[in-house]
Amino acid sequence: MRWPRFFSKKRGHRHTGSREWGSIAEGLFYAALLLGGLIFGGLLVSGVAAYAPADPGRVVLQRGYDWWMWVLTLVIPLALVAFGGSGLGKVIRMWGKSDERRAASAGFPEFLDTLGHPPHEAPGHPGVPACENLVNSPGNVLRYRLPIESPENWTLLGFGMFALLWNAVVVVLAAGAGANIRRGNPDWFLLALLIPFVAVGVGGVILFVRAVVLAASVGPTQIEISDHPLVPGQRYDVLLGQGGSGLFKSIELRLELEEQATFCQGTDTRTERLVVWRDAAGSWSRVQAVPGGRFEAHVEITIPDQAMHSFNSPHNSVHWRLVVRGSPDRWPPFTRVFPLVVFPAGRNAGATPHAPQGGKGVE
Amino acid sequence: MMGVSDAGFSPEGSFQAGASPSFPAPTLRFLLQFDRVSRIYEPLESITVRYEVAGAEAASMRALERSILWYTEGKGEEDIGVHFFERIADASDLPQVLPQGFFSNRLPASPLSYEGVIVKVRWCVRLRVFFEAGRDFVSEHVFSLGRIPPIRQATGGERL
Repeated sequence: MRWPRFFSKKRGHRHTGSREWGSIAEGLFYAALLLGGLIFGGLLVSGVAAYAPADPGRVVLQRGYDWWMWVLTLVIPLALVAFGGSGLGKVIRMWGKSDERRAASAGFPEFLDTLGHPPHEAPGHPGVPACENLVNSPGNVLRYRLPIESPENWTLLGFGMFALLWNAVVVVLAAGAGANIRRGNPDWFLLALLIPFVAVGVGGVILFVRAVVLAASVGPTQIEISDHPLVPGQRYDVLLGQGGSGLFKSIELRLELEEQATFCQGTDTRTERLVVWRDAAGSWSRVQAVPGGRFEAHVEITIPDQAMHSFNSPHNSVHWRLVVRGSPDRWPPFTRVFPLVVFPAGRNAGATPHAPQGGKGVE
Repeated sequence: MMGVSDAGFSPEGSFQAGASPSFPAPTLRFLLQFDRVSRIYEPLESITVRYEVAGAEAASMRALERSILWYTEGKGEEDIGVHFFERIADASDLPQVLPQGFFSNRLPASPLSYEGVIVKVRWCVRLRVFFEAGRDFVSEHVFSLGRIPPIRQATGGERL
């Protein structure tokens, strides 16, 4: 084992640094956490009672804790012990083992290692994501209704959380300023500070309300499909339903293949997404939903023969999805994403059928 | 007919744990043969691999690891999935697998080999020899599971 270098290089997968020294450093880190947790917890527990120096058998001061107070007090040391102990155990268990042996011997301690845990897989298809969550909702016309994965929902949630938290701070500040004014001692600095805070708070509420109105006015988008999971080379019926009372300048439905890679850049963890293949399943312009109803369109999609199946691993994935892009006449454009799972074609393809749960199957 | 892969390594890229100048590893070579010249296998098919470790004394080897696995390449961090793993470290078993031997296994249904833009999935056979001196020497031989063309050559739709 070579002595560690102060500087080391990384060339692709090769490091000039020693793996053994890296494991030793990692083990020391976890051991320090474990030791810290034990010492911290020990001090807390041993400090419950104080004894008279002259008479070590006599308690002169005793700390009275309820059980919940014990839980609160010991949360941090117990977390340190659990984190350090599991990490140290993992380092010891993996010491001197090859990458293949480590990957092959996934066992008990891996449940603590959530970052390295493999995603939920389809039975009999390693690396292919399970699709239970995509087939538990029956459609009205076709077999399944696909769940939506809309970035707008996260935007809406983000605006709502920001408006709520920011205005909570404003209320606290305003209450303090109001109390000062009632006492006849107004704090002018606090009042001046309140003005930009209130402005930002009102802006946050406006953004949130605008996002809610946008989501509500455009109307819901629904996709139903004749079968799931999909298999390369097969055709599937798709029903697009778009609610909303206004006019849409255009609505597009696309079948897309997206790659996603998660990587470390310095101390940051970044995720890059790239659509590498796309097929226009349908396109409609000047769409007006019937009053009290919705716009509906039937299309047929084909997963190309020899296409890659859905793939999911901790840092890399390949996703299939249906994407609806709409341009309402009086509102900004929207994008709504409906994930699909494509199984590999082959002898075992489509071997995990899912029974429909109600609905009006009309295939 | 077996596909032949001469997996000799240069000193720069051979060692996982670093090499000392006195170590005879630059002369070490793996000769590996797949039971299919094209090295293209269908899901759930069997694969058979014959190998020979040349250039080192069998007595200096203390363990052998044979594995069939997939790993990812591309922009993301590397993920690895081991389909088959076997470690032979018992002194009585080593003469049967070193310096030459073979093994076979049935391949899984997925993931298929894939040549994407920022995500790639590769299947390989890895042989890793551990020496008494404490070093290990790894040899990797890529094959293809399935016949998915690279995404750059995909037909239909719009490649981006």
